[in-house]
Amino acid sequence: MSSDLAFALRGVSTAVGSNFALRDVSFQLPTGYVMGLIGANGAGKTTTIRCLLGMRPVETGEIELLGHRVPGPVSLRQDVGVVLDHTYLVGDWRLAEVERALRPFYDRWDGARYRQLLDEFGLDLLAKVKDLSRGMAVKLMITVALSHHARLLVLDEPTSGLDPVTRDELSGIIGDFLIDEGHSVLFSTHITSDLDHIGDYLTLIHDGRIVRTGTKDEILEAYRVVRGGPHDLTESAGAHLIGVRRTSTAAQALVRTEEAGLLGGDVLVEAPTLEEIAVHVGAGSQSRRGAGRHQPEPSLSTGEIK
Amino acid sequence: MTAIARMALLDLRTVAPYRRQGLVLFGLVVLLFANRSAVVLVPALVLLVTSQIAAYPFLVSDKAGLETLYAVLPLPRRSVLYGHYAWAVGCFLATAAAGTALAVVFARVEAVPFGGRTLLNVLAVSWALFAVSVAIQFPLFIRFGYSRISVLGTTLPLAVVTLAVVRLRLTLTSIEAWVPLLWPAGVAAIVISATVAMTADHRRVR
Repeated sequence: MSSDLAFALRGVSTAVGSNFALRDVSFQLPTGYVMGLIGANGAGKTTTIRCLLGMRPVETGEIELLGHRVPGPVSLRQDVGVVLDHTYLVGDWRLAEVERALRPFYDRWDGARYRQLLDEFGLDLLAKVKDLSRGMAVKLMITVALSHHARLLVLDEPTSGLDPVTRDELSGIIGDFLIDEGHSVLFSTHITSDLDHIGDYLTLIHDGRIVRTGTKDEILEAYRVVRGGPHDLTESAGAHLIGVRRTSTAAQALVRTEEAGLLGGDVLVEAPTLEEIAVHVGAGSQSRRGAGRHQPEPSLSTGEIK
Repeated sequence: MTAIARMALLDLRTVAPYRRQGLVLFGLVVLLFANRSAVVLVPALVLLVTSQIAAYPFLVSDKAGLETLYAVLPLPRRSVLYGHYAWAVGCFLATAAAGTALAVVFARVEAVPFGGRTLLNVLAVSWALFAVSVAIQFPLFIRFGYSRISVLGTTLPLAVVTLAVVRLRLTLTSIEAWVPLLWPAGVAAIVISATVAMTADHRRVR
């Protein structure tokens, strides 16, 4: 087990019901960085996180979390803060009661920090959990995670449903958390703009498989957006078109950077944004829903996963 | 504090916002049995109030997604389950204590003898009723979740007790010979139930 890694998943597979499975999921995050886990709804982000946290057993593969193999000692949870897209606290608890309820479980619970963070976030100790807005609820869950001095923050879709101002605030909170070099963050989202400023590493997941993982720069460098007329983009030149979109007048797709040169001179080749990568890579799920014009990227061999 | 005690305390915190409803139920049952025999009060409270309050964390857990909280907290799963049982025993002790105090007061007002052997018998029967109730309810709640099984989980213990009383023609007098057995039998029922719950938990419907 490596103490330099916040976590690592190696060849993790698990079935969820009869319709979905994580297949051979492998990626890792060095300590001290933020990783964005990007995928469309239903891509497998939450299942991956549940496996990482030991909340779902895996069928094959190995998971390492903060230097321990999962499932690890229960004390490992002292170091992990979990923020989901919903609160998992009693709705009728007031925020003061949240502290009273959770404090006995954490060795390093810091009541002063809890109250200070609530104050900073504009949360009232007398407010009830069920009366908090979506953004306030996320802030509360982050407050809880920071109050027990977690070393790893795991945030599952924390920004869905948040307004841009609150999302920006959240980025600031994560930035502050990372001032300590021993702190790391896994941040799953389908809103790629969240990761523009804070994402150091990215992992793209689609249909239960890791499409690509690496640093943000590596991911951005790995793909190119290609645009042309409706008949300009074909795979006959040898370039595999990822999530191709065609209209009567134009076509657009993503290709691997090394294949961009195989397309004809009439094709416009540009560096993609994170959103463009996410949209094209996730196009498979769109096509399953009936869009019908997208061609998803096939799963890559593990050799292509960094 | 042990992990089980911390979990039992979390159950107390979980139901704390709803204490008013619990007190109202307690008061209603007391009112209902106040002018009957003081002997019946404690068993009635245990069967009608304790079983409801002890199961309440399961209801709140279903509504609030507390299974996720239990999975996130540094707490072994075994302690979560045993903590629920510890909470239930705490509920029994509190209800039995309050019920006994009221029963003694009512008995004095009515000038009915109530104490010593009668009181011990009443408490033993109450414990057995509680144990049967929890032993049946908890594995069901743990396996299926409260909302899926609430009606069966609530009525089954009552049905079992009623059937036993009617079929065996049980009264406090007829059961007197069994009283020494009721305490260990109740403990055994709860231990077996907790063991079954652990197995059921591995297969639970989420």
